[in-house]
Amino acid sequence: MTFQRFLLRRALMVIPLMIGVVFITFMLVRIGGLDPVGRLAGPTATQAEFDSIRNNLGLDQPLWKQFSIYLGNVVRGDLGESWLSNRSVLTDIKERAVISLELLFWGVGIGALVGVPVGLRAAFRPNGRFDQFTRVLSLFGFSIPTYWLALVMIFVFFYLLGWSPPAIGRMSLLVTPPDMITGSYLIDGVLTARWDAARSAASQLILPVICLAIVSAAPIIKQTRAIAIEVLSSDTVRYAHACGLPERNVRKLVLRNSAVPILTYIGTEVTGLVGTMSLIEYVFAWGGLGQYGLNAIISGDFTAVQGYVLVLAVFSVLVFIVIDFVVYLIEPRSELS
Amino acid sequence: MSDATQTELANANPLPVRARVWNRFAGIFWLSPTGAIGLFIILFFALLAIFSAWLIPHDPIAAYTDKVLHPPSAEFWFGTDGNGMDVFSRVIYGAKFGFGIAIPAVILSLVIGIPVGLIAGYRGGLLDEVLMRFVDGLRVFPSIILALAVVAATGQSLLNVILVLGFLDSPVFARVVRAEVLGLRSSNFVESAVAAGNPTWRILFVHLLPNAIQGAMAQTAVRAAWAVRISATLAFLGVGIQAPTPEWGAMIRQGAEYMVSGQWWVALYPGLALILLVFGLNLFGDGLQDLMDPRRRSAK
Repeated sequence: MTFQRFLLRRALMVIPLMIGVVFITFMLVRIGGLDPVGRLAGPTATQAEFDSIRNNLGLDQPLWKQFSIYLGNVVRGDLGESWLSNRSVLTDIKERAVISLELLFWGVGIGALVGVPVGLRAAFRPNGRFDQFTRVLSLFGFSIPTYWLALVMIFVFFYLLGWSPPAIGRMSLLVTPPDMITGSYLIDGVLTARWDAARSAASQLILPVICLAIVSAAPIIKQTRAIAIEVLSSDTVRYAHACGLPERNVRKLVLRNSAVPILTYIGTEVTGLVGTMSLIEYVFAWGGLGQYGLNAIISGDFTAVQGYVLVLAVFSVLVFIVIDFVVYLIEPRSELS
Repeated sequence: MSDATQTELANANPLPVRARVWNRFAGIFWLSPTGAIGLFIILFFALLAIFSAWLIPHDPIAAYTDKVLHPPSAEFWFGTDGNGMDVFSRVIYGAKFGFGIAIPAVILSLVIGIPVGLIAGYRGGLLDEVLMRFVDGLRVFPSIILALAVVAATGQSLLNVILVLGFLDSPVFARVVRAEVLGLRSSNFVESAVAAGNPTWRILFVHLLPNAIQGAMAQTAVRAAWAVRISATLAFLGVGIQAPTPEWGAMIRQGAEYMVSGQWWVALYPGLALILLVFGLNLFGDGLQDLMDPRRRSAK
């Protein structure tokens, strides 16, 4: 199958999922107990004011009509305006997406760079001392609440040691942000040769990235180990041993044959890590999409929640497509399906 | 078969019942020492939860307004929080919430997930397809976001948190049971049960259930760990369980602002308790899965 056809098929498969996602979030926020009207109107509002707000937001229409209007707007690329801030949801999300992607990229990247080699090493000697140690360690990593880890790190590295800047977002208040090119302060700072900005951005990034890396490495270690052990007991590897290949070459073979399942796993993990990342953003006042989503959900900002959830769904689907494509590049015999 | 062999077989089980139970228990330690440690941790917290009334030195929600944010001392072992409440008593008391949420939530997941998995696996067809698509659709979202959205939308009470977690986690069990049933569906014992004229419900719950439930049971401890973690996270975000309640996540939320001003004890201790309980459940769950899944055991 050619790549274009693959993309087309994938897109067609995604559409029903997207409509389902939009529908479920739409219903969920409306049939639930949240009522933004009361919050917008304030405690002293009269019934007439209530009604006029309800009318303005379109909430007095029947549900199916609200939904068809919303769906039509989404198709045209209009996610509506936030009811609490009156800003366009799409603009808000666009501005914040890069900020979150940067954090996610570094966190998962470092998590994978640490997790995969550790998992492989544990697999080469199952039940050895290293394996036992990393097994307990990764279970421990599963058990740490992310937000608590973030708080403890802030306490140790900011309050006690003073190595890290205060957790007030992506850049020190004393530094002017660089001109916007990509939206990532670090990259923009480097591109515009604003070294002070790049340095400040990097030092703000360190703690949240380490947090995310720790939390993402734990399941990667576990899964890599399981995958590599399975490959090690495969006929291919037994045959390679029987042929008398040196250990180093056998290991290369194991690595090559584990690459696809490991990559697929990391792809699925990224989706789950968006939740973890949101909590980290929340603690570090990061101002990215994750924090935006959490705040929208907590404060009952219907349009913002709908937009956020939709973007999340699109994101996970994109990740799966990218992973499929990379797998296809590594292993051309695996069909794009 | 000669009579002699038959008597031999009848005598092949010389151990009294109590010794056998003990052997099996010891066998768990031998096969999975880490799982046994996990079990110990869980029992420790269970004892804390059950006997908390006798263990706590102070009322967990009594505010000593003249002793706000006191560091750990002989009187307040873990210090006091921003309201002047004893952190030690609150941490001990918080174990009740861990179990009080996780146990009913997991039971609810089992009660929903197992029948759905049985029916979907046995019947197949459109129902199965729709259910599995729905489950796949749910997987697009991080579980915490999903739980947060549903709890925020449907009402913020402890009961609702339990219901939402139980419901959201039921696909895990449905999936495991379904996979087992798919493998058993065409086996001889099911076919003979059908031929003998058993009604479908009897085939599902009497014949298939005991054979298909093992994988689901192995998952329970890990899912309980998940429930404890997610419920604490919700409380940390201020959703579901509210502030003065001595729940660990809510306590960490209270302590968050003091982390940057040096009063570490408010958030540190509830977090440690939370980690330890979740860690124990995960260790135990990991051992359980090893014991129940021979393939995993041999892979070790």
